[in-house]
Formats: sequence, C-alpha cells, structure tokens
Amino acid sequence: MADEFPFEISPMFEGERVRKDGMYVELAGPKSKGFELVKAVGMDEIEDGKFTLIGPDLSEMEEGSRHPIAMIYRVAGELVEPDLEAIVERRNHDFQNYIQGVMHLNQRYDIWIRVSKDAVKKGLNSFEQVAKATMMLFKNELPFIEKIETTYITDLAEAEKELEAAMESYKIRDERTRNLHDEDVDVFYGCTLCQSFAPTNVCVVTPDRISLCGAINWFDGRAAAKVDPEGPQFAIEKGEVIDAVGGEYSGVNDLAKSLSNGEYDRIKIHSFFEFPHTSCGCFEVVGFYIPEVDGIGWVDRDFTATAPNGLPFSTMAGQTGGGKQIVGFLGIGINYFRSPKFIEADGGWERVVWMPKNLKDKVLVDIPEDIVDKIATEEDVTDLESLKAFLIGKDHPILERWVEEEEEEEEEAEEAIEDIAAAAPGMMQMPAQAMMAGAVAPMAMAGGSGGGVKVILKNAKVSIDRIIIKKSE
Amino acid sequence: MTRVIAITGKGGTGKTAIAALLIRYLTKGDRVVLAIDADPDTNLPETLGCEVEKGIGDMREFMLTQRDNLPPDVNKESIFESKIYEVLSEMPRYDLLVMGRPEGSGCYCYANNLLRGIMDRLVKNYDVVIIDTAAGLEHFSRKIIRDIDDLIVITDGSRRGLRTAERIRELIRELEANVRNLYVIANKVTDANKDKITEIAEELDLELIGAVKVDKMIEERDLLGLPLFDLPDDSVAVEEVGNIAKKLEL
Repeated sequence: MADEFPFEISPMFEGERVRKDGMYVELAGPKSKGFELVKAVGMDEIEDGKFTLIGPDLSEMEEGSRHPIAMIYRVAGELVEPDLEAIVERRNHDFQNYIQGVMHLNQRYDIWIRVSKDAVKKGLNSFEQVAKATMMLFKNELPFIEKIETTYITDLAEAEKELEAAMESYKIRDERTRNLHDEDVDVFYGCTLCQSFAPTNVCVVTPDRISLCGAINWFDGRAAAKVDPEGPQFAIEKGEVIDAVGGEYSGVNDLAKSLSNGEYDRIKIHSFFEFPHTSCGCFEVVGFYIPEVDGIGWVDRDFTATAPNGLPFSTMAGQTGGGKQIVGFLGIGINYFRSPKFIEADGGWERVVWMPKNLKDKVLVDIPEDIVDKIATEEDVTDLESLKAFLIGKDHPILERWVEEEEEEEEEAEEAIEDIAAAAPGMMQMPAQAMMAGAVAPMAMAGGSGGGVKVILKNAKVSIDRIIIKKSE
Repeated sequence: MTRVIAITGKGGTGKTAIAALLIRYLTKGDRVVLAIDADPDTNLPETLGCEVEKGIGDMREFMLTQRDNLPPDVNKESIFESKIYEVLSEMPRYDLLVMGRPEGSGCYCYANNLLRGIMDRLVKNYDVVIIDTAAGLEHFSRKIIRDIDDLIVITDGSRRGLRTAERIRELIRELEANVRNLYVIANKVTDANKDKITEIAEELDLELIGAVKVDKMIEERDLLGLPLFDLPDDSVAVEEVGNIAKKLEL
C-alpha cells in the first residue's frame, strides 16, 4: 500500500493483539491517561498533513515503559461538519489497528495503545510514522476530508490540559446525540437475537425507543449493522410515516410482516393499545393495563411481590412474552421511560398509575414534575381499591378519562357488549376499549316485572365481577 | 491456526491439575497459550500460581449496569473488548482469563453476542487455547467459544467418572457444539485400577489417550496450596502429560 512506512497496513491486522511479552511501549490505557479527539475546523485553519508532537517520541521511550498519549486530529473539507466528528473519530481505532504491530483498544478518553517490539525492530521509531499512516487512511477512506492536521501529546501535563478541553467537546457531542429523535433519521434498526426464544418477535430500535432488553440503542444497532448487515441487528428503512404519534411506518410494517412469518403486519412503536410492539422474553419491564382505573402500571423484573392487579412480574411476563401482539401488556427496556415518545399514543406519563418504588426511583428525574407524585408505588397502595383512592386523592389526570367514560357509557352500551361477546374467547387480545367500557344491556329476566329490568355488566372479562340490577326508569 | 482444547470432567477428578500441566508443557515448548478458567469454582489461577481479581463475568456485569451511563453513541463492543483485556492476566508465554461470576436474572443475549465476537478475535492471537470447564459445559451452550478442536474428559478410577464422559458425549450432540475430537484421560490411576479403567473405556467406546498415575508431588503441593506449574520435570504426572501432548500432536 505504501512503501514509505516500515510496517504493513491492512485490515487483516485488525484483530492483532500485542501481548505484554511482545510489547515495546504501552500508551494511555487503564494505568495511564490519554484520549483521541477529532475536531472539524475551517479549511484555512490547518495545514494538510502536518504533524506536531508534544513530549517524547517513540525512540526516546524505554522498552517496556508506559506513557500517556493524546491524539488530536483537525479535519476540514466542504462537507466536514461537527456532526461528523464522532464518526470520523471512531475510525482512528480501525486505522491504527490496520498498522501491523500497533494495537488500539477502546475509544475517547479510554484509549489503550500498544506498540510491539517486532514493529520497532522493523523500523517503527517515531509517532510521526503512525500519524502519517493514520492521516493517509483518513483521507483515503473518508474522501470528504480534504485536509487533516494532527497533534500527538505524550507529555502528561500537556495531555491532561488538553483532556479538559476534549471533555467539553465530548459533552457537547453527547447532548447532540441525546437530542436525536425518530423523525431525525431515515433508518431504524431491527434485532432478532431473541428469535431463538420467540420466533416471531422483532425488536424495533429507534432513537426514541431502546430494545426491550435495554441493551441495544439506535447507535448500537447502527454500529452492529454496519459491521455485519446480515447479523442479528440490521437496518430498517423507515419508509412512509403512517402515524407520527403512534410511531407507525411503512418500512417497519413491511419488515414486521416478513420477519414474523406473517404473524402480524402492523406495529406502532409508541402505542400500548393499538398494534403494539411484540415482546420476546428479555424485557426489563412489563406494562399492564388496569381496566378498573383505565391506567397503565409497570413492573420490573426485580420486583417480586404482586402488582395492584394481584399478579407478580413472572405471571405477567409469561402473558407478554413469546413474540405476539398482546393488547393489555407491553414489554419495554427501562430506558424507554426516558423517551419523549414514551407511549405517546396513549397519553404518555399521564396514563401511568403505578410502578414499584425502586423502578420509579430509577427514572424519577425523567417523570414529568406535575405527575411524579401522582404515580403510586407499593408503599402507597396494595390493591385496586387503594389504588383508586390514591389516584382520586392525588387528582391524577387519569380521572379525566373516568369522567369521559361515564358520559360515553350510556351511548355506547349496546355496542360494547357485542364487542365483548365477540372478543371474549381471546381474552388478552380483547380491544382495550371493550375491556374498559362498562356495559349495559337490556335483558328479559325470568320472573321480572314485564321487561322493566336492566342488567349492567361492569368490567366484564371472562368472569363477571359484578352484576347490578336496576329498576328501569 | 489456533488449537482450542477444552478440559472437563466430574468434580474432583483433577481436571484443573491436568490443564495446568498441559499449559506448563506448551509454554516450555515455546507456544503462546491462552488459558481460560470457565469453571465457576475458579481454581486454575491458583494452580498456575497466578493471582486474578476479576473475570469476564464481572466485565459483562459492568456492561449491563453501566450501559445507560455510557455516552449514547459509543461503540459498546469496543469498550467491552477493552474491559476483557483489562482482566486478562498476562504471564510469561501465557495469558489467563477467568469466566467467574455467572449470569444474573436479566437478559444477557446482547452482552454474550458481543462477547462471542470479542473472543473469536482474541483466540486467534494464540497458538493454543486451554479451557478448564465444569462438566455442564455452560459456556459452550452459550457458544461464547464456538469451536473446540479437542474436548478432553478427565476421569478418575470410578465408573462414574467414565459415565460423565459418556454423558458429555451426549451433551455435545444435544448442544450441537462444534467439537472435533473427544478424548479421555484417566487421572490418579493406580496399578490396581488401571486395567479396569481401560476396560470400561473400551466398553463405552471412549478413546483413552493417557493414564496419569497418582503423583506424590502433586498430593504434597495440593496439601500446601502450592502451584503445580513449577513441578519438576521428573514428576510422573508431568511426564505422562508430556506423552499425552505428543499424542495430541501439540
């Protein structure tokens, strides 16, 4: 590739590790300090190909010694912008590993580099060689970089000083990435790692929705899909927006259909009740609909007692998992609570009525201030009656739904009972509206006084809680 | 090509001792070895005379507990890889990794998937990988290490020990583990039980590639808690393990 260097350069060396036995020097790493940083700058601010070293060079370092290192790359080009810094910076890891005899681990302020004795023997004696090779690779592989200038710092005091400035850059970058939302990207990522357990489950990972296991965010999906597009994490073209609030996209629907073997063909990624996301068995938290209060409770894996609906996590997890669309239960990763689109289609946090104390504490700062005290925990309530009382006492916004419901009750009564009858065999798939609505049906009672009796079924599932018999007015 | 050898067997048969002696043989023969202690009851470091504080399990746990605190767009595989390198004990001619802490109740699919890729790359840097593992083969069922060239079951003089070998043969079939060869080494053999062990092995159609006699030097060192790595060359166990290594063409 380049005869000017005393080492070979090839992706073939990427997995090469320099063992302690064969190490000439160690740079940065857990026992020293260092960082790598890419900064986008103006075209006239840098001199292309220039290398500056502050501190001792490789030839001045003793065999077996350890030193700090900071690597700062300033890049410029018409298409270079600050948004690209992270992506460019990430490639330093790849390119330095292409160099035979150089090992580069980790990233940012955790970099860990070793140079092998063999490489030094073959003529690698200056950081300039490494920097020039890296700069060459940057320009070859990322053609939008028109100019690049590099500074390496091996002096501890200087490196520490520059690290402070670098931390500021990382912070700004992190804020920017945290502000990335579903509408800002064209591609989501799918994960089928759990299909061995739940063959029809497809996890859709978006900037506003972490995987159910909580382990894979949108950036992780992007990184994995890039390395192995045929692997368990892959790109999903968003396609057309069908429902912006519920999070329904034609691309996701198409893929859902093929990957679930036709089990379902629509997914609304921010909806609890309508075409909800499926759940494998790995979810950290289960959301469960509580028809008695028309709200949603959430219970996590670590909570072993029973939720106000009388069920423990394990039972609800059994209902939720398996890769089916289950209306009434939803598996999520804890980080989804931090999403601004958290069950947006269903009212978001205003629909949440109960969480275990520990779980609530974990996401406390992410709960909107005006609702945080209105969400009950096991310390406040133990069953549905006390939950109801708590919600009324705290004037939870869910109460507004109760009022609406009562108003609708009379009008929709007959329709609702028909729905219930139809949906009753598949209890868990029952449309939520039918589950929550009270039902009223005129019935001829044997021995009744001539058709003047109304039977009201409240909260009817398969069994009936209550039958109220009223005299017709 | 890296040769991957896993050593397993019923508890108490001395699989860790045999693993240590194989590592001793290989490093003396100028090979670079990766030793992996995949037994939850971590004994290999002590047997080798090496101190280990943390294992892969701790780093996996770190990745799980810290994942939401990491910058959102960092490459987690690269962090995990560096963390694994942190817990690698680097000794002359061999490196040692301890699996350690088992999985908790959460979902480990993603972490293990990353770990597979990391281990695939790491393993290639060594001439030989020696894995000391419990008979349940937990890490093989997770395919943390995907391909095994030789699976060696250590047995003592008991029929149960050989039965374990038979069960392991079944298990690798069930796990669809990629194991090329299955061998048996009889350990702590006496003149009284040697013939019987050979007979049972034949009966069960297991390939016996060596019989290590009861070694007084090992017994003494075990009692004092001394490592076996620096046993003298004339120890009977060292000699027999040398013979076995030659049979394995190591």
